[in-house]
Amino acid sequence: MKILLACSSGMSTSLLVNKMKEAATAQGKEMEIWAVGQHEVPTEMEKADVVLFGPQMRFLKSKFEDKSKELNVPIDVINIVAYGRCDGNAVLQQAHELLTNK
Amino acid sequence: MEGMELASFQIIAAVGGARSSVMEALKDAREGNYEAASAKLEEANQFLAEAHKGHTGLIQKEAQGEQVPFSLLFMHAEDQLMTTITLRDIAMEMIEMYKKIG
Repeated sequence: MKILLACSSGMSTSLLVNKMKEAATAQGKEMEIWAVGQHEVPTEMEKADVVLFGPQMRFLKSKFEDKSKELNVPIDVINIVAYGRCDGNAVLQQAHELLTNK
Repeated sequence: MEGMELASFQIIAAVGGARSSVMEALKDAREGNYEAASAKLEEANQFLAEAHKGHTGLIQKEAQGEQVPFSLLFMHAEDQLMTTITLRDIAMEMIEMYKKIG
């Protein structure tokens, strides 16, 4: 599964990427997970299976909904509690559910 | 996730929520939905109160003589908090402006 994370500058999501990679390895799963700043989302989205936004990008989610439908790449905002705890497992689970329910 | 890293992330999460709520409040006001805008601002204030609590706790620690390790992540949290508070303050004025113009 290819998971793209995005937040305003990519700083907080970069840390989350590491936690998610650790969680994926612990589960014996191979994933491609990376984070970008909000300006790179339109181009990077094309390489992903799912896209998850940090809470500070919640208000921009509607902006990407058309492209999400066009590419058939589901998008959502990262659960704020999971984000606050930098919970790699929980966000991995959220990405998985997003993909299976699309 | 331990100590400072977790505290910083908690602040970043709460502030992210606040920032999105403020932007959504502005959108509501722009579209003439002043009650919705007010509710969104209230939501933003609650997120900011949460972020402030975490932040004040750390400042008090330092004031009491306990060494608070400085990190880029904490600086990012602090920066996000200060700028989002400013954004909230300006948004409040802008919403009054929308009411006047609308």
